[in-house]
Amino acid sequence: MASKKIKILIFFVMPALAVLVFIFSLKTGTKDISFFDTFKALFGYGEESVLTIIRQIRLPRIIMAMTAGAGLAASGCVFQGILKNPLADPFTLGISGGAVFGASAGFVFGLASLSWILIPFSALAGAILAVLAVYILSMRGKFNSKSMILSGVIISYIFSSAVMLVFSLSKTNQFYSAFVWLMGNLSAFDERLLPVVIIIVLAGTAILCLTGNIINAITLGGQKASTLGIDTEKTVKIIFLLTSLITASCVSCCGVIGFVGLMMPHIMRKIAGGNHSLLIPASALAGCIFLPLCDTLSRILFAPVEIPVGVITSIAGGIFFIVLMMKRDGEIL
Amino acid sequence: MIEIKNIDAGYSSKKILKNISCNIAKESFTGIIGKNAAGKSTLLKVLCGILKPFSGQVLINGHNVYTASKKFLSETIAFMPQNVDMNFPFTVKEFVMFGRYPYMNMFKMPSEKDYAAVDEILKFTGIETFSQRYVDELSGGEKQKVLIAQTIAQETDIMVFDEPASHLDIGSLADILHLLRLLNKKHGRTIVVTLHDLNAAGEFCDNLILMEDGNIRNSGNVEKVLNYKDIEEVYKTTVVVKTNPISGKPYIIPVSKDLQ
Repeated sequence: MASKKIKILIFFVMPALAVLVFIFSLKTGTKDISFFDTFKALFGYGEESVLTIIRQIRLPRIIMAMTAGAGLAASGCVFQGILKNPLADPFTLGISGGAVFGASAGFVFGLASLSWILIPFSALAGAILAVLAVYILSMRGKFNSKSMILSGVIISYIFSSAVMLVFSLSKTNQFYSAFVWLMGNLSAFDERLLPVVIIIVLAGTAILCLTGNIINAITLGGQKASTLGIDTEKTVKIIFLLTSLITASCVSCCGVIGFVGLMMPHIMRKIAGGNHSLLIPASALAGCIFLPLCDTLSRILFAPVEIPVGVITSIAGGIFFIVLMMKRDGEIL
Repeated sequence: MIEIKNIDAGYSSKKILKNISCNIAKESFTGIIGKNAAGKSTLLKVLCGILKPFSGQVLINGHNVYTASKKFLSETIAFMPQNVDMNFPFTVKEFVMFGRYPYMNMFKMPSEKDYAAVDEILKFTGIETFSQRYVDELSGGEKQKVLIAQTIAQETDIMVFDEPASHLDIGSLADILHLLRLLNKKHGRTIVVTLHDLNAAGEFCDNLILMEDGNIRNSGNVEKVLNYKDIEEVYKTTVVVKTNPISGKPYIIPVSKDLQ
């Protein structure tokens, strides 16, 4: 696609779509509300019951979905760039493994009943533990993509075994809470966390959007990047920690929502090309559109029963991926 | 002017370059030849400041390469490594633009000047016809030209190329080396290049450095270095050296063992 068309798509069409999805998600649900009433409620007018549904139940959830979608997709895009591997995602380096371990341990040790903040906190602690472990392990290989991916895979394995250990020690009801959390869920987070997550994710994503050309240069490999004046090791360290912080904040509130971080950059790369200075904002916007849509589906598909949004993102992403693959003569990467 | 002084270099414990010293004059066109594993690529990496030597130093216009700032280096010397990753679908134009990185502003956004420079280089290297194609879908020869264009885009006085003509047919090889000659003769760039093909080295370079087991066996102008004695000893095979009737440069053909 010509670069002008791509820019129009990214900077006009996609934000407009995001707004449409926002309004659509607000009005759709077990109780369908008209556009007019939705708008009224958004600005604080209308029936009490409608106001509650829109402003207190749906609005925070949709904002969280948009924030987490943008954060996960932008991080995925950046991870794919610095790891020089289009199959990487924000969870390749073990962050999800760490977070799941933290949260499951939290559920099993009964932290959920003590205070609302303890589960997200233990998830965050687990994620940070995993990030630090990968960081220290990668230092020996000077932060090249091989050493980072290898460390990530090892840490993920260790943590997933630890999760199994924790599960085998747990009681049924704790197991269920942990299991639902594990599949990615946008209905369970505490609203008091929302402002913190928004600030971290949006500020972090904004910074990532500015690093596009640095990441472009890093994808050329250490030798070339070095002669272009880039200290690859230092830059990769900083970007790795920043993306980890974004991912960890999303995961500790919403659980492990798979496929967004892998699929959004992939799909956008097919449409907009590989230039990260466009691809990172494009991926963020795609996540911002895709995740609230999936969440709305998860609310209405088997209403009144809600299914975890992670299930929807994985199925929808997978199907989309297959269609894309068939169209492109089997060339996935 | 590049001064290489008493360089010992290698990887972890393995020493590859053994006490190497030589000078490369400003605006010269120098080829580095030698067998596989003779240390050609290692010498280039040391020269560009990517690999820190165990001892010795490299001075470029009097500045030590290992203590100079990354900014100074990136504006003085451009390097095309043998392996550049081209895994992502960048367009050719975007890819060449990465060479402008040292000149971009704080947010690393290209300016009008960078766009103009890239357009000119696309024309100069003859790749403007496929400037909108994706780099991961190009043929070997096209990729090589795009990598060279990216290196030229850095607009440095010294340009270093590691095997720019490997695996190319004779037409593409001549195209690419002619391009480097133009850079040298018309634009006054100092060119350093490693080559496997001795005939290409003899035809297109002005000076040669012949390496053997991490040492410099011989250096000087093409006629001096490409003598049958040195070549036979380094490559351990019988050769005949003749003169190209059109260019007057030396060329080399091996002699089959059973026909000697």
